[in-house]
Amino acid sequence: MPATPVYIICSPRPQVGKTLVARLLGEFLLLKNGRVAAFDINLKEPSLIDFLPDLTETADVIDTYGKMQLMDRIIVDDGLAKVIDLGFHAFDEFFKMSEQIGFLKEAARRNVAPIILFVADTDRVSARGHDTLRQQIPSSNLVVVDNEHVVRGELPPEMERGRVLRIPALPTFLKTYISRLTFSFTDYLRQERDSSTELHQWIRRNYTVFRDLELSLTMQRS
Amino acid sequence: MAAAKPAVIVVGADKGGVGKTTVSRTLLDYFSANNVATRAFDTESPRGTLKRFHPDITEIVDMTTTSDQMKIFDTLNSGTSVTVIDVRAGLLSRALASLRDIGFLDAAKGGQITFAVFHILGPSIASLDEIAETASFMAGAKYFLVKNFINDTQFFQWDQATYNSYFHRIKDATDLTIPKLNEMAYEQVEIASVPFLKFVANKSIHDDAANYSFVLRGYVRHWLANVWSEFDRIKLTDIVGSGKAVRGSEK
Repeated sequence: MPATPVYIICSPRPQVGKTLVARLLGEFLLLKNGRVAAFDINLKEPSLIDFLPDLTETADVIDTYGKMQLMDRIIVDDGLAKVIDLGFHAFDEFFKMSEQIGFLKEAARRNVAPIILFVADTDRVSARGHDTLRQQIPSSNLVVVDNEHVVRGELPPEMERGRVLRIPALPTFLKTYISRLTFSFTDYLRQERDSSTELHQWIRRNYTVFRDLELSLTMQRS
Repeated sequence: MAAAKPAVIVVGADKGGVGKTTVSRTLLDYFSANNVATRAFDTESPRGTLKRFHPDITEIVDMTTTSDQMKIFDTLNSGTSVTVIDVRAGLLSRALASLRDIGFLDAAKGGQITFAVFHILGPSIASLDEIAETASFMAGAKYFLVKNFINDTQFFQWDQATYNSYFHRIKDATDLTIPKLNEMAYEQVEIASVPFLKFVANKSIHDDAANYSFVLRGYVRHWLANVWSEFDRIKLTDIVGSGKAVRGSEK
């Protein structure tokens, strides 16, 4: 039986596009599987619950109770894909806790597949955060997201070593368009008949990238 | 592998609430994980906390009575290699005096018995006076001074120079640190009334599957591994004559 995926979208930096990736992935999984569970661990940024309120619940890792509420849900092999939008302020605490409680080992035992999507930036804090993850997480579970709108050029060489998922930059007017709280990527694909529009192609390309990521992870496990 | 020489470990302090029973529980889990046959005596008579967590191997005794002293010390050669005694608060010095009086300390000095004392220290200066008092009984024993941080003791009242002056007076005393355990995790193990090992394995006291939080089990697993690495550091299994620590999969 395929493992239950848990996508953790993270960065120790604000404003790098974590919620954008979480929205895209959440809508892709909903379209593909018909259901998805999303968790929003953001207190200080625009966050997933504002965009996908029907799929998303808030969570926190500030205290032990919050950690239990979140982790005891995501460690379950129930076939329901999960997406976590991990705010920058929770990055250190979440991965410290994950290491202490042996999250990856327990996940492997329970047929749960955590996939860490690290949204890259070129600053020192991101480099340190990525290094922390590389020491803690097997390369097969760690994916660097190159949001071209943020990185604008080459990724730091250390981040290029593993798997990289690229999100092309959109023109500013389209970026503003998709930033509306009522905007849905899947609804746009369904309603916009002209599939040659830049946004149509951008969404399809990103959905394809997620499908390829899922496929490669499934093949890796089999 | 198992030596014929019996080993007795006394866990105590003259102050209450410093975590004697918690340390005793980690010792019983440690020996269990290392396949060292162990029995325990709980001197918190008539209501023993240690017995609540390890009922199968623990007996409640009153160490001040001759009959219970016989129950413990006349049966040391009964086949179980390690005996752990959790001494009630305020009884450590008296217990050690009793052991001296019955010739037990001389037997330890003569090498017939392995004897170790885990002296759990509190944060106050009174603990330092306890060290001096207890140390006078320690010839022939392995003496461990345990700083227990499980209940977030800060040891703030200690002046390091004062501590060192006491500590260095005692030959061969070894420092041991028990780290802090997440409060909610500690509380849940208390409520479950199971050994730490069973909590980590998600089992009830009767070995049925339980439903403890994965997060709390993770915290306990991590903490227990740190405690055991301290026991490994002092080569505890070697001390009790069971050779090198060999565990299955405590992590």
